[in-house]
Amino acid sequence: MSAITKNGVTIDDTFAEAFGMSGLGLIITADTLKWARISAEVMTGFGTSVIGCGAECGIDKELSPDETPDGRPGVRVLMFGFSPDALSPQLRNRVGQCVLTSPGSACYNGLDSPTKLGLAAGPRFFGDGWQTAKKLGKRRFWRVPVMDGEFVIEDKCGVTTEAVGGGNLLVLGRDRAGLLEATEAAVAAIAKIDDVITPFPGGIVRSGSKVGSKYKGAIASTNDAFCPTLKGAVATECSPDTIAVLEIVIDGLTSKAVADSMRTGLKTLIEIGAAKGVTRISAGNYGGKLGPHHYHLKDLLP
Amino acid sequence: MSTLSFNLRTAPTEVLDLSALIPSKLAQLSLGDVARVALGSVPDAPLAGDVFDIAGTPGDTIVISGGSPFLDYVGAGLDGGTIMVGGPVGAYAGRGMKSGKITISGDAGAYLASTATGGLIHVKGSAGDFLGGTRPGDRFGLLGGTVLVDGSVGQRAGERMRRGVVVAKGKFGPAAGSRMVGGTLWTEAGFGARPGPLLRRGTLIGPSVDELLPTFADCGRVDPVILRILSRYIAETLGPLAPKALPATVRKLAGDRATIGKGEILLTA
Repeated sequence: MSAITKNGVTIDDTFAEAFGMSGLGLIITADTLKWARISAEVMTGFGTSVIGCGAECGIDKELSPDETPDGRPGVRVLMFGFSPDALSPQLRNRVGQCVLTSPGSACYNGLDSPTKLGLAAGPRFFGDGWQTAKKLGKRRFWRVPVMDGEFVIEDKCGVTTEAVGGGNLLVLGRDRAGLLEATEAAVAAIAKIDDVITPFPGGIVRSGSKVGSKYKGAIASTNDAFCPTLKGAVATECSPDTIAVLEIVIDGLTSKAVADSMRTGLKTLIEIGAAKGVTRISAGNYGGKLGPHHYHLKDLLP
Repeated sequence: MSTLSFNLRTAPTEVLDLSALIPSKLAQLSLGDVARVALGSVPDAPLAGDVFDIAGTPGDTIVISGGSPFLDYVGAGLDGGTIMVGGPVGAYAGRGMKSGKITISGDAGAYLASTATGGLIHVKGSAGDFLGGTRPGDRFGLLGGTVLVDGSVGQRAGERMRRGVVVAKGKFGPAAGSRMVGGTLWTEAGFGARPGPLLRRGTLIGPSVDELLPTFADCGRVDPVILRILSRYIAETLGPLAPKALPATVRKLAGDRATIGKGEILLTA
């Protein structure tokens, strides 16, 4: 494996292996951006990994009043799952429990796609027969009476099966605080890209996994090759000076959005990384046999 | 954009059925063929060339210069393109239209936009009775699209209307929203007497009601988000012709409670 060094940071000659997923977008509005964000954050909570959470969810971007159907401030959230059918119960439960319940909220489709899911399929029945629909042009909005007025929810939302989950960067460093700071900066740069989310806490995973486990029933376990405390005990991927490894996982509605995000993340890490103790950037893959999308780091260099 | 012009030779003295004069039916014809199109379905129906001087090129726009209350079914079944009429039209203009735009510089007769499913109609004068309504045999009245009337509207607008939006700068006549099952009637001037008899669902928006049916229940001041969505939708659909955005708060009257009562009259003043 021939690595190259840029600005004091070594970039491994490897690739991120990602998977095809189904993705959908929603626009959540409220009386203020604060409350749109609260609703969106709760709705996308516990949405890190599709394995354990049922869906990978996050906030894509904030929307100005001009960009929302009701002229109020809003947030666009994205949800990713194995299939539209698998996303459907997640959508119903998350919107029903976290958006319907949030003061002043409304929920709209946030992705144009010929394939649709019933966004209001569950939540509208909260109206107990008092719900009414208003169709304007091609869009139907349900109005559900609630204690602070009406909860408006669009009838359907678009879902794409062209989404990509699992684009990633592994960031190795010799200084824990500096590594976290540099990785945070990369996540912040990726957040500016449309159509992607970084679903893990703060956009960063510290517990990268490998497939399988010595224990029956566990489908994934710690990625020992990148655990710095095991560097002497296992076939390690860490460098001798590696004190910690952090991973950025990226889900996007398109493969291009994932590639653009990895490129942006790489650029940020190369620009500011060395001074913060970032020594190497690598990527996670399964030998290229499991996922159809391969993002080679050398193709994404700035 | 190619335009086909129809100029009335003389004012008609009998009702003419203009439903054949829509762009999709004429676009492939020569001018000579257009002149031989029958205006009606009876064997001795007059031909377009008997009634109009025809000029221009068949395409996506039709201009009818002048106008007459005897011109029925203008733009009926329109499925794309534009029809502009320089004066008044008779009954059934835009009936069953699916898309496209009709502009009528004068008044429109009864049953404007009945059973239409889409598109935009702009009447610069006033509109007659049963705007977006049903005639015998129709299950529903207006089913989609947008109608803008600069003047006033006759009786029983939106009878058994199901979807779509009708905006009037002037006043709606008595019994607007009669038996309506959905959609929106919006006036900047107010409603005549007893709007919404047997209103099932649907929304009537205006500053005032001349006389309210006793079967509407006062729900007081409300500020539903749908008002913002509706204002924005109409602003996008009508552009500079759109009425002023709705206020954040309106007074809601729920009814008609003589039936399922899930409709509403929203008073903006």
